[in-house]
Formats: sequence, structure tokens, C-alpha cells
Amino acid sequence: MSKPSDLIQGTLDLLILKTLSLEPKHGWAIAKRIEQVSNEALQITQGALYPALHRLEHQGWIRARWRTTETGREAKFYELTRAGRVQLEKELAEWERLSNAVGLVIRMV
Amino acid sequence: MRFSSLLRRGRADEELDKELRFHLDQQTEENLAAGMPLSEARFAAMRRLGGVPQIQEECRDMRRMNYAHDLVQDLRYAARTFVKERGFAALVALTLGLGIGANSAIFSVIDGVLLKKLPYRQPDRIVRVFFSSHTYPKFPLNPFDFRDFRTRSRSFQALAAFTRSDVQLSGSGEPVRLSAFRVTAGYFEVLGVTPALGREFDHNDEVPGNGNLVILSDRTWRTEFGAAPDIIGRKITLDSQPVTVVGVMPTGTEHPGNSYHALPYGNSVDAWRPFTFDGNPSDRGSHFLEVIGRLKPGLTWGQAQAELNTLLREIAREHGGYDGWHMLVVELYREIVGPNERLLLVLLGAVGLVLMIACANVANLLMARATARQREIAVRSALGARQSRLVRQMLTESLLIALVGGALGLVFAAGGVKALVSLLPADFPRVDSIHVNATVLGFTLLVALAAGFAFGLVPALEAARAYPQQGLREGARGSTDTGLHLRLRSVLVVAEVSLASILLAGAGLMLRSFVNVLRMDPGFRPEHVLTADLTLPSTEYKTPAAARAFEDSLITNLASVPAVKHAGMGTDLPWTGYDENAGGFTIQGKNPPPGEDFHGRYHAATPDYFRALGIPLEQGRFFTKADNQGAPQVMIINSTMARLYWPHRDALGARITFSDTPKEKDWMTVVGIVGDVKDTPASRGAEPAFWWPALQVPFVMNNGVMSVAIRSDSDASQLANVLRREVHRLDPALAVYDIRLLDQITDANLASARFAFFLVGLFAALAVGLAAVGTYGVIAYSVGRRNHEFGLRMALGASRWDVVRLVFGRGVTLAAIGVALGLLAGLGLARVLRSLIYDVSPADPLTFGSVALLVFSVAALACYLPARRATEADPMTALRAE
Repeated sequence: MSKPSDLIQGTLDLLILKTLSLEPKHGWAIAKRIEQVSNEALQITQGALYPALHRLEHQGWIRARWRTTETGREAKFYELTRAGRVQLEKELAEWERLSNAVGLVIRMV
Repeated sequence: MRFSSLLRRGRADEELDKELRFHLDQQTEENLAAGMPLSEARFAAMRRLGGVPQIQEECRDMRRMNYAHDLVQDLRYAARTFVKERGFAALVALTLGLGIGANSAIFSVIDGVLLKKLPYRQPDRIVRVFFSSHTYPKFPLNPFDFRDFRTRSRSFQALAAFTRSDVQLSGSGEPVRLSAFRVTAGYFEVLGVTPALGREFDHNDEVPGNGNLVILSDRTWRTEFGAAPDIIGRKITLDSQPVTVVGVMPTGTEHPGNSYHALPYGNSVDAWRPFTFDGNPSDRGSHFLEVIGRLKPGLTWGQAQAELNTLLREIAREHGGYDGWHMLVVELYREIVGPNERLLLVLLGAVGLVLMIACANVANLLMARATARQREIAVRSALGARQSRLVRQMLTESLLIALVGGALGLVFAAGGVKALVSLLPADFPRVDSIHVNATVLGFTLLVALAAGFAFGLVPALEAARAYPQQGLREGARGSTDTGLHLRLRSVLVVAEVSLASILLAGAGLMLRSFVNVLRMDPGFRPEHVLTADLTLPSTEYKTPAAARAFEDSLITNLASVPAVKHAGMGTDLPWTGYDENAGGFTIQGKNPPPGEDFHGRYHAATPDYFRALGIPLEQGRFFTKADNQGAPQVMIINSTMARLYWPHRDALGARITFSDTPKEKDWMTVVGIVGDVKDTPASRGAEPAFWWPALQVPFVMNNGVMSVAIRSDSDASQLANVLRREVHRLDPALAVYDIRLLDQITDANLASARFAFFLVGLFAALAVGLAAVGTYGVIAYSVGRRNHEFGLRMALGASRWDVVRLVFGRGVTLAAIGVALGLLAGLGLARVLRSLIYDVSPADPLTFGSVALLVFSVAALACYLPARRATEADPMTALRAE
């Protein structure tokens, strides 16, 4: 279905966790933030974003809370849990390892 | 946690809606800020967001609490669908209900007869012990041999013997015949049943002279003694003797069944009396004790049998004889259910096949329906339903309807079990424990679920494979079947036809066997004959002469009654399990073959006994009144005995003696040869047998039991009162029991064959019907789908005949493959029927040929109707549609 085919499997989780590590954000803001920081290189389709958020919430790495935005609207804010921080560290380390490995191969061959 | 989330399902969806709306609003605002007009900003945002239903669906899946919820939703959806398609649902539920019901009914019988533990303590440790030879595989034991085994064997916690010995209870009103056994000490210990009142017999009761004791069954205690609490110690009158009651057994003290003067398994015994070891302990010739034992823990029947065989060699060394004999130990369970196990398993196999055909039919219906629902499925999948989700939903539908079918099946089973029990042969063991109970309920549930999966999975997978675009596009007009779809349905037709052929072949063999049994000459004429039993108590009729005098008067009086054509008495009646054998007699001028002895089944008969039963005289003469005590001894033999011992010459005039040192008066001359009567209708052949004239019988035979046979010109049942009156005129204290028409006896002997044939036939008829409907359904459906094509073909010049050939050819090809496969499998499977069929080869060409023809014709008929419809396709309509 609408999987982020342009993102390596599992990378979306890492991006969401990393984005939430600074402060709680709602879904739209998470997508916006990733797009901005990546200079619009990474486009997050909503069809992938919300299922991912629900999955992470179910796994207990993030939790959701309804709060009022600066514009005075009700929005669902997600924040990292303690388990989520641990998971983020793990995924970051994993990503480092993987990208180094890929880099090595690309340079060698 | 999952559960609460399931309950809060509504809220979770609401929140998601709100969240997505917020997202949409943010995106719209951004688009507005970028300068888009309002309408376009909203639309662009929506496009960006993607399909909301998909997101919702995926989020739900992500929450992983979906299964239970989906189930509820699917069930609701399925229920709605079935209410909408009432006819379809009813057809499916009914088909399944019949299939499942038949299975549950047969399973109820299997559960009650085969699976339920015997009602004894640790029943798997109880075994039956037999004396065994090549000629007599299960022979009773000699009392003193038994006593030696009991003393010397180390294998048994308890070893006991029992032998049928009915008694007459008198006291108030007409005397009552009680089914009774003589049992040794420890008989009830073997069974693991303790008396409800009093005690069981001990070794002291076995001493000759001490045996005037009785233990009553609960039923006798209640019906004959009003459940008197002070019954223990009371003296009652049995066979005109005062006997002390020492015990009352509890309800549910089931008789383990026996073979010598057989009484069937169950609640069939009225009283037990102690067996006393009378006579000379070194006399080991007489065998009439049946033995039952409780193995010590951890010992197998094989070990016990080995030990008993060692002991038998010891006993043989001490007393001589017993060449060619050994001991046989059989588990009690085997002994009780043994002959019926195969019949029941065959029936279960037959109903299993019926259910498989029913499932194939339902799968066919579902696939036809799935094609019709292609559009709905395509729409759902376009709206974001995932394939696995669709399969799950369709499987839920199948399971739901299967459960409805199962519930219906239970209703059918409840009725079916009643019908089955009433159809069962009278001597079928454990009929009382056949009920629709929790086990049957569980079985039904399992079968229903399995059936649901079996018929639901393939159509569900098939349907979910459909591509949404195709389904949406083709929704308007009927599409041609895809190749795979068609092939699957063809496979189902072939499977149905072949399963039906297997069943029909089985039923055909049963039918031929049944017809053979019916057509077989029984060796006697059962019409218009009344029979009954009498037992002359040895206390009243002290000498054989006294008994003979009574018999002679009774027969003479009966013969003078106008309605009576012939009246006779004998030791036994045909087909009633009589099994008294004499071996070791001498035939004048002959030696027995090495390692064997001359043997034969012995009987006694009055002059008109054979005429009353309609047993034909082949040579010589019947007995006359002149064949009495003073006259030279004579005998009548049966045809088998004549052929066996006098193969090359006339047996008439040949002489036999039982004396080792015969004087002239000890020789008995064969004066007549009568036709054979087999032990049971299904026995391979008759046993060699001979008859003494009742007036010359040298000893009290058959415990004094004599059977009366009265032949009448018309309705013999009218003679029952005549018989009672005549007996009581001579001896008012004598019970007349087992009053039956000879017809009833022969009928009871056919019950087993009739039962098997009726059920297998019923199931086969069901199977053929279902297979015909299934074939018709598939062919008719494919004709319906191809109507347009046929129209075109005819427009392009094909004749009606061509179209018929096209449709018919396909159906008939499938049927032919099915019949061929079915008959091949049938040939293999029919071997399991070998012990159930009589005088038919399991590969009987007539049966298999007829089955092939019948199934093929039915299938052809099922194809013919749709084929005719195909020719009615209108070429003009087809062309206009193009």
C-alpha cells in the first residue's frame, strides 16, 4: 500500500523519533519539520506518517496528548517516552553502522 | 488493555478523524498562505493527504487490536449478508446441517460404544481368558483347570469365572425367569464393583453344598422385592429351593457380555449365584466356564497369556490331553466392541465422505457467489481494504454459516441418534450409553469449523485475488470465468462425483450382501412358527426320565390342539447362539485324522422337532416315539457331518459311540440325515452336528433348558396362550419364557446386515444427490456465464447440436473422470468391508459396473438440463449486445 518506498524501511521511525527528541509536536508539524530540515528532499506522505505514529505509540516509544496550539486549536501532540529515547539511541547507532557500511562499499567498489 | 481499546473503538476513530482534520486544516492554511484560492487550497491539501479511509484502515491495523473488532464487524456484515440472501444462506446451512448432523449422529454412537470407558474401575486392566484351538478360537474352560490357573497364576489381581445359569423365581403369582450367572469368588472384584448391600461371594461359598446363596441385581431387588432394606439374609425361592440373599448390586452393574449361552453386554443380569466346584477334580473333559480377570498393575495381556500358556502345559502334563490347545487373553474392551468397531468406523467414513461432498457443493456455491460479488469486493478493495482483510472477512462468513449449519446439524443429530438407536441390532453393545452429550457437542463444533475452513478458504482466496480495476470495469456485464477459477470448480465436480462413486460402491456391496443374506436358504422355514423356552428344574425333575415324561405329555397335548400342525421340542433353536460341542467320540471302523478328534455339536430333539422348524430330511427318517429308552440307540446327523466323516459312502447305518469300551448297546446308529443350519446367517458354513432322540438322551442337557417349536397353518402368535395353558396344566410352577416367533429370531439375525446396508445406502443416496446438484450447479452456472458466447457461436453458424455437444461434453468428461477415480479408490477401500459383507467379492464387477453406470447417468442428466438451456441462447440478442 502507501509505504514510503523512497525511504529505507524503518527510517521513517528513526526520523519521527529524532524529530520528537527536541520537543512534543503534532503530526502535521512532524511532517513539516522533516521536510524543512531535509530541504524538501524527504516528502512524508500522510498515508505513511499516521500509521507509523500509531505503531510507535502502540509500541510505547511515543505517547500522545491533546493540547492547544499557539493558534488556539486542539491538536494531538506526540512526545518521546523514556523507552522511546532508548530506542532512538539504538536506532541512531544502527543507522550509523549501516550508513558507514554502505559508504564503505560504495567507495571501495 | 486490548480489550479496553476495543471498547473505546469509537473514540479512537473519532480522535483519528480529528487529528486528520487538523492536518488538513494546517495544510489548507499553508496553501492559502502560499497564495492559492480557497477552493483549490482545500482540494490540494486533500490530495496531499491521500486516501483518508486507507489511513484510517492502516492506523487501525497498526493498533493491532483489530482482530477482535474485525470479527464483530465481519460477523455483523456476514449476518446482514445472509439475511439479505436468505435463500442462499438457507440452502448452504441445510446442506451443511445434513452433512454435519449425519456425522454427529454416527459420532454419538461411536462415542457411546467405542470411546466411553467401560463402567468398571480401571477397565483397561480387565481381560477375558479363553481356551483356544484352531477349530474353536474362543472356548470356555473346565472348572478345575480354572481353579488351577487361579491358584498358580501370578499375573492377576483377581481371576474369576462365570457361567450362564438362569433360575426361576417363585413366590407370588406366576413364576419369573431370571437371567442369572453362577460366578466364582472375586467376580465383582475383577469388575471393580462393590455390592450396594451385603457382600460378594467368597471361597467358602464355592464349596459344594454351600452354594444356596444369591446376589440380586438392583432391578430385581426393586421389581421383585419392593427394594426391601432388610433383604439381606432373607430366604427366597429359586428353582423351588430356598436360597439366602447375601447381596444386592448397585445400578449400573453391567454384564461384561459372554459367549456361551450368551447374554449381551449391559444391564442384562438379574441375579448371581455362587459357582460350586462339584464333581471329580481330575475330570477335565467338560468346558463351560467363561473367565475374566483383572491384571496386576503394569502387566500386559500378552505377559498374562504367556504365563497362562506355561501353566496350561503344566496342567496338560498332570492330566493329559490338550494337544493343539492354548490360552487366549483378550482385553475386555476388544471383546465387547470388537465386531462392531469396524462397522462403526466404516459408517463414520461414509458420513465423512458425505460431509466432504456437502463441503464441495458449498464451496461451489460460494465461488459462484463470489463471482457475483466481484464488484462489491472490487469496490471494497479500491476503498482500501487489504487482501488479507478481505479473505478474513469472507472466511468469517464461511465460518458463521458453518456454525449455523453445525447448530442445525445438532438438531438433526438429536433426531438421528434416536432413529439410529432404534435401528441398531438388539445385541449391539452399550446402546444405553449413546447420547448427544458434551463430547458430541465439541465434535460437532470442530467439524463445523473444519468444514467452514474447508469450503471457505479456496473461494475466499480466489475472490480476494480479483483486481479492483477489472472488477469495477467488468461489473456491468458478465465476464468470462478466468481459467483458474474454472479449473478449480471443475476439480470440485470431479471430487464430488468420485466421492459419491466410492460411497455408492460401498452401498452396492452392502446391498448385494444383504440380498444374498435374504436370499440364502436358512435351512429351515421360519414362517408360522412359535417358539419358547422352558427349564425343568433338576430339583423337581430329578431323573432324565421324569423330564422326558413331561416333554412327551406336553408335545402330545400340544399336537392335539387343532391350530397346531407340528409341535416339537429340542435343546435349541436355529440362530440363537447354541454352542454345545462333543468331541472324542468313536466312529465305527474309522480313525480320526492325526492330531484331531471326531467332534460335533450335540442336540436332542423330539420326533416332530425338525418338522416344526421346517428342517428338511435329506435321507433316512426322523425320530419316532419308538426311539425310546428301551429301543436301540439312534441318531440323526446333519449334512455337513455326513460329508465330513463319511465323504465316500452313505452315512446312513454308520455307528458312533461315546464309550471307550463299547458294548453293543452303546452304539448309536445314524438313521437320518437332515439339512444344514448355520450358526448365524453370515457364518461360512454349518458345524457338524448330531441329535439324540429326546427320549434316549443319556444326561440332562443344556442345564435342563428345552426349546419348544410349534408350527401352525396361520398366525402362530395366537398359540402363545395355548402353550402357556398346556405347560401350566402339567406344571403350574414352570415359567414359559422367551416366547418369540421364529420370524423374529431370523429377523434379529438380519438386523446387523440391515443396519449396515440401510445406513450406507442412505448416505450413498445423499451423496449421489448432492453430487448431482453440485454438477448441475457448476455446469448450469458456466452455461449462464457463456450464454452470450453460445449466442454468438450460433449466430456464426454453429448448430444447436454443436452447442449441446460443447456443454454436455465438458460435464460428461468431468463426470467420467470422477467416476473413474472414485471406482479406483473404491476398489482399494472396499477391502475394509470384507468382514462386513457376505458372499460378495469386495471387487464385485456387477456392483462396480452398476455404480459406474448409475453415477454417470445421474451426472449426465445433471449436465443435460443446462445443455438444453444453452441452445436457447438467442443469437440476435448476442449480436445486438456486441
